[in-house]
Amino acid sequence: MSPPQDPLPPNAPPAPAPDPDSVDPLRPGQASASSPAQVASLEFKARMLLVFMLLLVCGAAMYVLYARGAFETTQRLVLISDDSEGVVVGMDLTFSGFPIGRVRRIELAEDGKARILIDVASKDAHWLRTTSVFTLVRGIVGGTNIRAYTGLLKDPPLPDGAVRTVLQGDASAEVPKVIAAAKDLIENLNTLTSSTGAVGASMANLQTLTERLNGPGGALTVLLGSEAEAKKFAATLDRTNALLTKLDGLAAKTDTQVFGEKGVMPETRATIVQLNTMLGEARNSLKKVDAVLQDAQAISANAKDATADLGALRADVEANLRKVEGLINEISRKWPFAKDPRDAEIKLP
Amino acid sequence: MTSMGSWQSRLTQIGHAAQQWVIEWWRLIYLGALLLVLTLSPSSYSRESRLVLSRHIYLNTAPILLWFTVLCALVTVVLTRIVVVTALSYGLSQYALQVVIRVLVLELIPLTAALFVALRCTIPDGAELTAMQASGQLDEMRRQGGDPVRREVLPRVVAGMFSGITLAALSSVVALVVAYVAVYGFNVSGLAAYTRLFGQVFSPAVTLIFVLKTLFFCLAVALIPMASALYGMRDASVRTSAEMRGLVRMFAVILLIEVTSLVGNYY
Repeated sequence: MSPPQDPLPPNAPPAPAPDPDSVDPLRPGQASASSPAQVASLEFKARMLLVFMLLLVCGAAMYVLYARGAFETTQRLVLISDDSEGVVVGMDLTFSGFPIGRVRRIELAEDGKARILIDVASKDAHWLRTTSVFTLVRGIVGGTNIRAYTGLLKDPPLPDGAVRTVLQGDASAEVPKVIAAAKDLIENLNTLTSSTGAVGASMANLQTLTERLNGPGGALTVLLGSEAEAKKFAATLDRTNALLTKLDGLAAKTDTQVFGEKGVMPETRATIVQLNTMLGEARNSLKKVDAVLQDAQAISANAKDATADLGALRADVEANLRKVEGLINEISRKWPFAKDPRDAEIKLP
Repeated sequence: MTSMGSWQSRLTQIGHAAQQWVIEWWRLIYLGALLLVLTLSPSSYSRESRLVLSRHIYLNTAPILLWFTVLCALVTVVLTRIVVVTALSYGLSQYALQVVIRVLVLELIPLTAALFVALRCTIPDGAELTAMQASGQLDEMRRQGGDPVRREVLPRVVAGMFSGITLAALSSVVALVVAYVAVYGFNVSGLAAYTRLFGQVFSPAVTLIFVLKTLFFCLAVALIPMASALYGMRDASVRTSAEMRGLVRMFAVILLIEVTSLVGNYY
């Protein structure tokens, strides 16, 4: 490789003569050494431009830092997930649709689970409570979302460095299951609707049924299985009709025998009237018996009372006898008439 | 024997072309390193040099600043409406602003600013330098003890880079403001969400790639026309072919930087 050379080394061939056609007539300073005296207060304007550019660049850098959250105070939240697929550094943690935190780092834990380190802005950290739930949702279209849900806002606030397990909901993971289920369903449908399937056999049976319905015997053939059975059924019906006719005649005769003028029913009614009369007489006889019984009851009561009076009378006699005995004893004791005490004793009957 | 001779001559041509290609790129890198050293040297900022540098910075930046900003604002309005309406029709409106920021600020604006500076400033500056070299002014300067690289090339390269960076920065800010106004209207209610979205797009890696891309774009459009002007005359008998080679090289480098940045951002 040849060394870099000065644009025009001393041994270079002489430069060709200037070509007047190559000069751009629109640039007045062309083809001449630069001259600083063509623009008024040039240095000042150039400095202003320099300052303007520096302000632009510094402002843009500060805005990028601000947008990246370099100037906001944060607290750390660690979410544990089985799978961190779809989670990227810088994505948002949202609460009610508002971003309140950013994913700062994703690392693999000792137990093989993914640790998603999130910086939550301190001014928004009060939305997160100890009972908050975190979800990691992957949509079919679009990116993964990490969302926070807080049911009880009066619970204690989530501490700095809290570790929580994230609940995962994967819409795309359901797609293979749905496809497999749909495939099974279609296979079952194909099995059902094939010529040897249940639906095909049912349709064939339905066709046979329709043919039998349209044939001789109609629905009876369908119900009884064959035309011969249907004929037997028709014959049975005919015989039943004849039997019913005979039964009609029998019923008419029975009506005459039972309910006619000299039938069983009028005679029965007369018998019942006679029975009623006999019952009335029996009732009167019973009343008389009842009166006799009442008299007997009264006699019995009088005898009972007399018995009670005899008891009282006996008691009075006994009392009088005791008094007499007492009096005799007293007389005997005071004035004894008998020599033999046994003869002196007055004996009561 | 004839066939062997033609193979040899063909191989010689390929070798010569490859050597020439490597030499040209090496000269470009060497000139870039030389200019970087001169840029960082305090001796390059004497009173006279500062005046020359100021003139180039002002003339390369001020006249195009307003027009480029207006053009950028118009393009931003149109593109934002297209993206927002399309995203809305597909039910993806939540990604519209992110797409606008990514497409406009990250990808289109640095490239557009660099190409605008190249077309309006650095390519004419290169042509001017070519004319000076063709007229022998640089030789004369060298004979008088001056340094053409320090006096003529350095101010143009620095001015080109300054112009590119300023245009990219200003138009990025204007595009962000215009996109916000086009989506949210003239109220500040969406500022917090917009800032958060901006922060999500400009992750540290993306920001670094964006800054490096802008710097390398500006360096490419400022340096390559000057290098073509300085080194192109000796290898080409016709001036336009040297300019064309410089332009092709510049666009190739810009394409390479853009592809590298895309790979860095999205892979």
